[in-house]
Amino acid sequence: MLPTLGNIALFLSLIFAVSQFYYTRKKNKIKIISISVKGLLISSLFSFFILIYLHIISDFSVLNVFQNSHTTKPLFYKITAVWGNHEGSMLLWIIVLTIFNYFIFKLYNKKNYIFVSKTLEIQAFITIGFIIFTILTSNPFDRIIPAQENGLGFNPILQDPALAIHPPLLYIGYVGFSAAFSISVACLALKNGKNFPWYKYMKPFVMIAWTFLTIGIALGSLWAYYELGWGGWWFWDPVENASFMPWLIGTALLHSLIIVEKRQSLQAWVLLLSLLAFLLSVVGTFLVRSGILTSVHTFALDPSRGIYILAFTAILGSYSLILFGVNSKKYFNNNYFTFFSKEGAILVNNIFMIIVCSTVFLGTIYPLLIEAMTNNKISVGEPYYNSTVIPILIPAIIIMGVGPILSWGKENTSNIIRKLLPSLLITTSLTILFFSIYKSFSLIGIAGILLAFWIISNNLVMFYKKKFNLSVGMIVAHLGVGFLILGITGSSVWQIEKISNMKINNEININKYKIVFDSINEIKGPNYLALRGNFLVFDKKKNIITTLKPEHRFYPITGSFTSEASIHTNIFRDLYIVLGEGNLNEGWTIRMYYNPLVIWIWIGALTIFLGGCISINRNLKKLT
Amino acid sequence: MIKKQLLKIPFIIFIIVLSIFFYLLIIDRNPSKIPSALINNSVPEFETNSLFGDKKFYSSKELKHEITLVNFFATWCKPCRDEHVYIQRFKDEKALNIIGINYKDNPKKTVQWLKKLGNPYSNIAIDSNGRIAIDWGVYGIPETFIVDSKGIIKFRHIGPINKKKYREINLLIEKLR
Repeated sequence: MLPTLGNIALFLSLIFAVSQFYYTRKKNKIKIISISVKGLLISSLFSFFILIYLHIISDFSVLNVFQNSHTTKPLFYKITAVWGNHEGSMLLWIIVLTIFNYFIFKLYNKKNYIFVSKTLEIQAFITIGFIIFTILTSNPFDRIIPAQENGLGFNPILQDPALAIHPPLLYIGYVGFSAAFSISVACLALKNGKNFPWYKYMKPFVMIAWTFLTIGIALGSLWAYYELGWGGWWFWDPVENASFMPWLIGTALLHSLIIVEKRQSLQAWVLLLSLLAFLLSVVGTFLVRSGILTSVHTFALDPSRGIYILAFTAILGSYSLILFGVNSKKYFNNNYFTFFSKEGAILVNNIFMIIVCSTVFLGTIYPLLIEAMTNNKISVGEPYYNSTVIPILIPAIIIMGVGPILSWGKENTSNIIRKLLPSLLITTSLTILFFSIYKSFSLIGIAGILLAFWIISNNLVMFYKKKFNLSVGMIVAHLGVGFLILGITGSSVWQIEKISNMKINNEININKYKIVFDSINEIKGPNYLALRGNFLVFDKKKNIITTLKPEHRFYPITGSFTSEASIHTNIFRDLYIVLGEGNLNEGWTIRMYYNPLVIWIWIGALTIFLGGCISINRNLKKLT
Repeated sequence: MIKKQLLKIPFIIFIIVLSIFFYLLIIDRNPSKIPSALINNSVPEFETNSLFGDKKFYSSKELKHEITLVNFFATWCKPCRDEHVYIQRFKDEKALNIIGINYKDNPKKTVQWLKKLGNPYSNIAIDSNGRIAIDWGVYGIPETFIVDSKGIIKFRHIGPINKKKYREINLLIEKLR
């Protein structure tokens, strides 16, 4: 029986993980460690593929398949539903853990047996924790007796290509930090940890984790933008925050690692950041899976799961942070820092990242805290984050533009100004050009656009000169951040929203466009029925630019309605339209958004990802 | 040089945060429970069409003479179907007066739905555009209110009624009676 086989594979991977944990504590057991590591990888992959197969063949004797699938669902979403639910996604989490485990194993060479063994021991411990969690509280192979005829279906808003790859990318990010965590603990636990080039081992893992976390968050955001139909792309939802916090720490970590590599300073700081990055990832998992808060991401409410993850986090966190408190002193050094130097800029930015992270953390747990103490519900939303996060990010971004062109060690001030002159000129002229076209002024808008062009021009100048011996990956990634800021500023400062009730042939103006409600018809999708509106979009000269076709879908299996926004995109703006409730006589509620520059958010995220990939490639080559 | 004491700070913060999480997990708390400003206040008045016949529905007439359960529901909402057995039991076992408010729904479908599952409601108000739900501060359907004989809201529950809630509401009704 396949589900039994899947269970056996899962238990096997537990045995391999335990054996890895046990033998990495012994001397000269490389052979048996090798078997454990590979066995763990293969058995967990095997159980994962069995679960995928069970979903493909719609085996409704399996509870997980029954709860999340249906025979009418397209094959693609049958597969992606495997990680669209709690149990399956835990299995994916384990797979990613074991893959990183394998890459740590690959670090073995003649000199570093002790160090890599210690790292693998920690990694095995983490893996054991998650496998036991899965087996005890969330086994995806649990059966349902008697077997059911058909499944309950899969939440229709999750049936989406961006969301299909969002979890795997995000997990590479979260779990990638586990490798940095294990390396850091190994450093702190070993007496002679300092003698190993641990930061060289850590860097590619952090880079992979950070790069994939970035694109994972961006995809989730993209999905929220076109699927939820709220016109926005970031909602400061607790679970968005839970992914944003490790990202912030990861950003600080990534940059500090460069200082460690070049100047041997900040080592203790980097060790702490790598502990925090993974701990925050696990806390994020806890927030999502325990039902402690409600959000679009929360899975089923089950307190026993929460207790388990919390206990596990307590063990990981207490052990590693106590180790840090006791042993990190030996990683201190007294290297002198000047503010006007590359490491000075990175350090200052590090501090800003930590402050932003703490602010977001406070905003996320503050409502819980208040509720626990006073029994009142309060909600912390956009105004809080906008007024706290943005002022901290502005200086951070200014420094980010300058940082890369500063030298290591010391830089004299007149030199800095000479270096910055070209990009200062470009920034000013681009900003003037921008506002002479858009002619819409606001303080935040001007600040955001200035910052965006500041970053973009600095990096373009660097790219053009290419004599600073800088990494191409870094320049590309930073350029991406510039695009990102451009998009964020444009879409949040100049967004126009219009909500109105429209009947056929009614028209409405938004910005310089005229939108005419042409017709509405019923269509039939693979597993849904829908009403689709046709909206003709005219520009100033009365030419038709496009037809927008938003849909109001009904999924009979889950009995739920979804709105499919229709979006027309170009590099200057998005036109975004959502079809709401209504009927022929009374008309339909139509929501329309004019979102300037949104596409630059996605271009930016993709550029950052690309830059990350270039750097990963370069660092992996260095390692081998 | 950094003092050694400072190195313990991350651990201390970690323990504090963990204790908060732990406390939140063990206390009996429902994250979707939202306090209502309406508790111990009069019901919001409204007028709309009744699902049965071509009659009007006046809240002032329906909600002021006996203890009443007000249930926001819709046929497209699966949890509403799940809780329907309990709504029916309130009618059958406790002889409770039950008013339904049919939220953003198709009246024809609702009639069919009730034919199939049984009709515990003494009257049903149609809330086709969700206006009544807004006045009542409804967070999401299903949602249930208990109104006493003077038209004062005494209880509110967000989400489907399950066994535990069924017992809790029964106790409350005994008390009110």
